[in-house]
Amino acid sequence: MPFSARTSTSLGRHRKKPGAGKWSERLFLFTIIAILAGAVPARAHVGSPDIYADGKAGPYRLFVTVRPPLVIPGVAEIEVRAEDTGTDAPAISGIQIAPIPLTGPASLHPPVADPMKQSAQDKHFFTGALWIMASGSWQVRFTVQGSQGAGVLSIPVPATSSSTRGMQTGLGVLLGSLGLLLVAGVIGIVGAAARDAQLPPGAVASRQATKRAWIAMGGALVFMIAAVWFGNVWWKGEADNYARYVYKPLTMQALLEQSPNAGPSLKLKIEDPGWLKSRKIDDLVLDHDHLMHLYFIRKPGMDVVYHLHPEQIAPGEFQLALPSIPAGTYSLYADVVHATGFPETLVAQLTLPVIAGRPLTGDDAKGLAQALNPARVDGNSCPASLITRSSFPLPDGYTMVWDNPGILPAKTPQIFGFSLLDVKGKPASDTALYMGMLGHAAFVKDDGTVFAHVHPSGTVSMAALMMAAAQNRTGASKADEMASMPGMAMPAASNAPTKLPNTVGLPYGFPAAGAYRIFVQMKHGNTIETAAFDACAAASRN
Amino acid sequence: MATTWNTSNLVPDDTGSKSANSIPWYLWCSVLAVTSVSIGAHWDVSWHRSIGRDTFWTPAHIAIYACGVLAAISCGYLVLFTTFRKPASMVASSVEIFGFRAPLGAFIASWGGIAMLTSAPFDNWWHNAYGLDVKIVSPPHTLLMLGVFAVSVGTLIMLLGSMNRAEQAGNAMLARHLQWMLLYIGGLMVVFQMFFRMEYTWDVYLHGASAYEAIAIGMPTLFAVLWQSSRSRWACTWATLIYTVFLEAAVLILPLFPAEPKLGPVFQQVTHFIPPKFPILLIVPAIAMDLLWNSTRTWKPWLTALASGPVFVLSLVAVEWPFADFLMTKAAANRFFGTTYFGYPEPPTSFDVLRRFVDPQHGATLWNGLALAMLFAFLSTWLGIALGRWMRAIQR
Repeated sequence: MPFSARTSTSLGRHRKKPGAGKWSERLFLFTIIAILAGAVPARAHVGSPDIYADGKAGPYRLFVTVRPPLVIPGVAEIEVRAEDTGTDAPAISGIQIAPIPLTGPASLHPPVADPMKQSAQDKHFFTGALWIMASGSWQVRFTVQGSQGAGVLSIPVPATSSSTRGMQTGLGVLLGSLGLLLVAGVIGIVGAAARDAQLPPGAVASRQATKRAWIAMGGALVFMIAAVWFGNVWWKGEADNYARYVYKPLTMQALLEQSPNAGPSLKLKIEDPGWLKSRKIDDLVLDHDHLMHLYFIRKPGMDVVYHLHPEQIAPGEFQLALPSIPAGTYSLYADVVHATGFPETLVAQLTLPVIAGRPLTGDDAKGLAQALNPARVDGNSCPASLITRSSFPLPDGYTMVWDNPGILPAKTPQIFGFSLLDVKGKPASDTALYMGMLGHAAFVKDDGTVFAHVHPSGTVSMAALMMAAAQNRTGASKADEMASMPGMAMPAASNAPTKLPNTVGLPYGFPAAGAYRIFVQMKHGNTIETAAFDACAAASRN
Repeated sequence: MATTWNTSNLVPDDTGSKSANSIPWYLWCSVLAVTSVSIGAHWDVSWHRSIGRDTFWTPAHIAIYACGVLAAISCGYLVLFTTFRKPASMVASSVEIFGFRAPLGAFIASWGGIAMLTSAPFDNWWHNAYGLDVKIVSPPHTLLMLGVFAVSVGTLIMLLGSMNRAEQAGNAMLARHLQWMLLYIGGLMVVFQMFFRMEYTWDVYLHGASAYEAIAIGMPTLFAVLWQSSRSRWACTWATLIYTVFLEAAVLILPLFPAEPKLGPVFQQVTHFIPPKFPILLIVPAIAMDLLWNSTRTWKPWLTALASGPVFVLSLVAVEWPFADFLMTKAAANRFFGTTYFGYPEPPTSFDVLRRFVDPQHGATLWNGLALAMLFAFLSTWLGIALGRWMRAIQR
């Protein structure tokens, strides 16, 4: 894009005040020194930036993958698999996609939608790409046309710049060579201008003119060195300025407090390290019934896990009366959602002694498993033998089964299916909703660099999904919207009890090769079950 | 001591022109290159304010890069033909750089073409590294614009050399035609100079000194260069008239074509191409400069420049300040003044949409800024006079 108009948005970079431009920006300058911007590890959503979602656009069920760009503005790659549920399934003739801010005035004005490309080999597979122009909370709206009319599905996309890229050596050499040619060209042009330009046709330069030309060329050389130096300073300034927009998650400090009356408690203090000015810490909203979902996972074997729900006691401060916890060092992953629909996962570590605390109540739950065997893991590769079992015996005699275990290439979308069996090994007949859903899962890489809290609707936050769904409402009730989301079957309007399935499907794709542990939680009766399965992701096919 | 070339081994004919009275094709080609980029640049900004999304192959991009291609064709021909075929008249009116021979302007324009080509992969990498920059003044864009600037300057110098030689040869008609082309290029250079300052001269910024400082840096240089080198008593007036007509034509023509946003966030419902802002009333200081310089021909350059600084800035402020007030009123909300056109990403709360000045200045703050602008205009003019006088004598 040779030129583009300066724009300002309420979501992205801030409008520059008039006259705030550096003097350097007002001068004609260029630079040839290649600054190799160092890659910054992506921390947004703890190493799992791709979005996997399962939802219904009217009568059409879609499995969506959105791969957000590394830098913003940038291009998000989008894939849709129209799920074929049998011969009677509605046929999709086309899908259109549009990027829209999730909230605010611009959410009311979508740009022109783009058609997705339908695969010639697989009519159920569609691909597309969209520009995401500003950091913040976005949605991709899918408008589906097919045999049963139109349907709409909106998938929230939290867009952040996660790093800057370095320059390839070949490109650096090419640009450096061209830059040297340009510098030499300026010196040569200045010399010729001083020596020959004013000579009448046919005349040759005098010795004096030649001497003048050498002096001018020396001056040009000094000028070009200064210009290159100045360009270097400018480039570095631009790179530093851009680095300010690279996503910085809220920081979280975890403190253990002992009170003689109330027992041991956990205090979480949240602070903003500086990112977008529009981000606040006092605007958190409920996400499936809680302001915060906190996973406690013991390192290094991931043999103990807790799913807890601290209460907000002040903006940026959460507190939780601790349950009984074995001693150890724990990784803490806290999921929160802002009023804009932008989700964040805050990370902390805490070393605890043995905690004799309260019993687990409400939606709080824990799980125990064998430690992940580090001997089976070698860096980012792992053997198939890592997957030692596809069923997990639960403390009350029930069993959870992973329906489709196997090694998957990284970045490959799949619906991970799990079933709950009763003490007799039969499908559990008393399955209940856990925080409104058939199941929850946390996908955690063995080295702690990946953590993803996944629901039957995918990796998107439920609060953001509800915001997006509300915008698509055309007379349907909230209950209808929720019922359209997989695994969120709502009780029927009548008083007749609805029997829930004993299986749950969780859309996800491993972000990188390596060993993972999947903590899966389902509920039956009043019991919340937590199972752990080990998974191995192979290197990506791409 | 100057001597004459030994032309015994040179090709006798100059195939660059059909006759001594005609303008050679490579000059037309270079003029077309500058025209193409001037249209392409404004078209491209309009594209990004109206549609948003683009590819390398948009018509606007093609118009921009056609500048480099046309410059490469014309100047590449000149360099290679003059160096290797050695036609007598062309060699005699050429300069030598690193063993190659061509008119000085051809080398400058070639440099511009290489700079434009270099900017393309640089810009592409920049977008991959830091995201698509939503501003004009970035390092790769500046390299591109330096390239365009060099093509313009190279064309100007080629025209000057030809004009000066025609005049010395007594070919007044050819010299006159070349002078018209030179003034036309001068006008397009004003267009491009103001394009580069677009981010600082938006109409909502015109009640602050920064806009006038931005114009005072460099614009008087171009005025003085054109006035000194073109030998036209009304060089600045002609050049700014071309700028005014060019911009107003864009204001009137671009909205005739449909367009709709293909990127979000969309704050404005756009149905057609969004044109640039109404041109700055540069024609007023241009007339003032022409009048001043016509009556101060015998003055020392520094004294002329000293008088020019305040005249340039104050004459511009005197008309642009109240005109900016007018642009904020409903009376200007029509197709001619174009104050009702807003790009799709402009929030309804932006100063532009609200038609309010950004941080308007007054009192000492304003006068300090304008004093700085006058200083810039003085220095710019001094530089321009020196450059223009040197260019006036260019023969090659």
